[in-house]
Amino acid sequence: MNATVPVIRIEALTKVFGSVRALDGLDLLVQPGEVHGFLGPNGAGKSTTIRVLLGLMSATSGRVELFGGDPWHDAPHLHARLAYVAGDVALWPGLTGGQCLDVLGATHARVDEQRRADLVDRFDLDPTKRVRDYSKGNRQKVALIAALAAEAELLVLDEPTSGLDPLMEAAFQQCVRERRDDGVTVLLSSHIMGEVEALADRVSIIRRGRTVTSGTLADLRRHTRTTVHAVTVGDPVGLADSAGVADHQSEQRGELVDSRFTIDADDLDAVIGTLHESGIHTLTVTPPSLDALFLQNYGDQSDDDALADAEARDERLAASR
Amino acid sequence: MSTDAGTRPQRATLPSARPHVTNSQSGGLATMLRIIGRVQRRSALVWVVVLAASMVGTAAGIAGLYDTPAKIHSYAAAVTAGNALAAINGKVEGIDSLGGVIQDEFGFMAAFLMPLLGISLVTRATRREEESGRLELLLGGRIARHEPVLAALIWASATIGVTAVLFALGLAVYGVPVAGAVLYALSLGALAVVFAALAALMAQLTRHARGVYTGALVVLAAAYVLRGVGDVSGTWITWLSPLGWAEKTAPFGDQRWWALAIPLVVGALLAGVALRLASRRDLGSALVTGGAGPARASGWLRHPVGLAVRIHRPGALGWLAGGAVFMAMMGALARQLADAMAGNPALATALGVGATRPIDGVVATSQLFLAVIATGYAVQAVGTLRAEEAQGRLETRLGGTLSRAHWLGAHTVVVLGGLLLIVVGSSLVLGLTTALSLGDGAEIGRSMDAGLAYLPAEAILAGLALALYGLRPRWFGVAWAGYAVVAFIAFLGPGLNFRQWVLDLAPTTHVGNPPVGATPVMALAVMTAVAVVLVAVAFVTFRRRGIPQG
Repeated sequence: MNATVPVIRIEALTKVFGSVRALDGLDLLVQPGEVHGFLGPNGAGKSTTIRVLLGLMSATSGRVELFGGDPWHDAPHLHARLAYVAGDVALWPGLTGGQCLDVLGATHARVDEQRRADLVDRFDLDPTKRVRDYSKGNRQKVALIAALAAEAELLVLDEPTSGLDPLMEAAFQQCVRERRDDGVTVLLSSHIMGEVEALADRVSIIRRGRTVTSGTLADLRRHTRTTVHAVTVGDPVGLADSAGVADHQSEQRGELVDSRFTIDADDLDAVIGTLHESGIHTLTVTPPSLDALFLQNYGDQSDDDALADAEARDERLAASR
Repeated sequence: MSTDAGTRPQRATLPSARPHVTNSQSGGLATMLRIIGRVQRRSALVWVVVLAASMVGTAAGIAGLYDTPAKIHSYAAAVTAGNALAAINGKVEGIDSLGGVIQDEFGFMAAFLMPLLGISLVTRATRREEESGRLELLLGGRIARHEPVLAALIWASATIGVTAVLFALGLAVYGVPVAGAVLYALSLGALAVVFAALAALMAQLTRHARGVYTGALVVLAAAYVLRGVGDVSGTWITWLSPLGWAEKTAPFGDQRWWALAIPLVVGALLAGVALRLASRRDLGSALVTGGAGPARASGWLRHPVGLAVRIHRPGALGWLAGGAVFMAMMGALARQLADAMAGNPALATALGVGATRPIDGVVATSQLFLAVIATGYAVQAVGTLRAEEAQGRLETRLGGTLSRAHWLGAHTVVVLGGLLLIVVGSSLVLGLTTALSLGDGAEIGRSMDAGLAYLPAEAILAGLALALYGLRPRWFGVAWAGYAVVAFIAFLGPGLNFRQWVLDLAPTTHVGNPPVGATPVMALAVMTAVAVVLVAVAFVTFRRRGIPQG
């Protein structure tokens, strides 16, 4: 595979269902070998984007390339190089879990039998049970094992851990890391920040069918504020007026001075210098979590929650129309 | 019959139905009644309208056709010559009256539609809701475990009641004496109630909605056979069948009002047991459960055609069983039927076949009924593709190397294969039983040829269903409407003397009642071409549309 060709390239994608604009100029770029977090609240258009990417739905306008090809016209051929786990895992109720694994595997280019057996073990799946008797989590496991056992260059995972317990979620994260180490590209759609934070190299955050921001976690963090809690021997003079410092609070506690503030990541070095001169007793520096990133992108528009819900409903209706 | 009631948009509306009622004193039952009413109102309405229209249409047709006592008398004489027809439509007491003729003509449809009404209304509201997990959501609220079953039964009874009222009104309007009309309508309503209560009980015993349907339909088939045997032999066996209870009310004969008590008491007993089980058992549990299965799929199952066979097999075998049982009964009675037709040409005319060889008339009638059965399979089988898509399995299926054309192709081949299996299997049963009954082996070939001649007509409806699925799955109801037209024309068209252009609407009309008369080669060729075009439309449109659509 030519390393200069992105695995996924989506530019200015729109998708209209009747009167609803589900996607409104969405961009997504995924390079070979990366785990790409695809974040957004429910109804933001994640699943619709993936369906267009897989050629299940046509784009209303915009450019969609999968491995440099057109998924709408060449889906089966391109699908030979990927494995997909749908958001709502649905299997055949009369088949056993093991039979489903084989049926799903038959549509993948090649299945690593050794890995399949390992995964059944690690996910603690009983393959002789019928799907109709499985819990939701167990159905999810079947779909995940099928995708992880496939010899694919790209894994497309749409909210893959809904229904998994924390133990199985940890097993899933470990498996995804192993696949990444094997050079597999992963597109991980999720609304769970912790999961994306644990796995993703790069992240695209979307809202209402549009890409809000995209970059490495480090990039994104640079644009957000780091929280500092410092206890110093002397009073750190001029701290409140230093470049980049905000939300400054300071109080004398016995012999020591307790300071709390937030700071732009770029100005951290200078401020630590100031603190050092005052004699650091304890220091806690908390980098922005993805939660903070996420809330920053959504939180200041809290009226959007209701909007996003309305959109989710419209999109479901439109999709089933 | 729409299957929309349980799809996602409606599920989304459910919670909004709850706040209205959480304050009310009657609590859970009122809540459940509102929820079921909301989810079921459309399908219930369709049932009521279709049933009432069928009954009123039949009554109107017969009232117009048999407008003098003399004509009614000749009909009665034709039908009662020999016991044979009693096996199909039942033994109608007081057939020498307008109401009696209607009861006879409507008998076959009523024997299946009324029980199905009860079964489907209750199953949808009970085990299917439990299976989907929606019931769990409700039982987490202020609803007692038995209340969903009770609410489902109340709703089913109400729907059945409305249907019965419309039946009685429709019959009275066309001149049937009021007392007879009311008793007949009540007897059919009571029949539906028995099967509604049976379904409520089955829903406690089996884990999945499919099991409820299977169990209840097996009981219905047994009831049909018992009633048939009892009527033909003229013995008490009829009294063992719920269909017999309805018949024995004799609304146009002796009018045994007390016989209505049997289905009502039995229904109440079944409902009581169902409610008791529902309040005692664990949610999601069942008496009958499945065991473990193979851990690996065979090479055959991994192939798209193999999986399609797996998906369509239960449906195909069910319809085949129905077709084979019906054909076996007709074949076994072939000699009696042929004698009856030979003795009274009016009977052959009423059945729509004026045959020079009476036995050909028997085969022709049987094959027309089989065509309705086989067409029903085809439409239902294509409908399962819609379920595959709506439930999300299609999306997973097409996420790999399988192309849309291959997937649809595999299913098309399997659905048409199932159609062929049902036609050939049932025709073989008819041929063998007729041959045994008459002692003439040549009947096997004649029956088979007649069955195969219907394939192009059946394929047109399969093609129509596929094309609708490819174009827009939401329009699939049109395929069932088309099926209803074909069934109505096939069962009642000849008896009601419809105009030719109405008869011509059904593809089965153009097959020309084989083996009576010459095979219309040209018509069969045209119908084959139409079917091919419809299938082609399905493939082209399916390639171009978004997936998934409900």
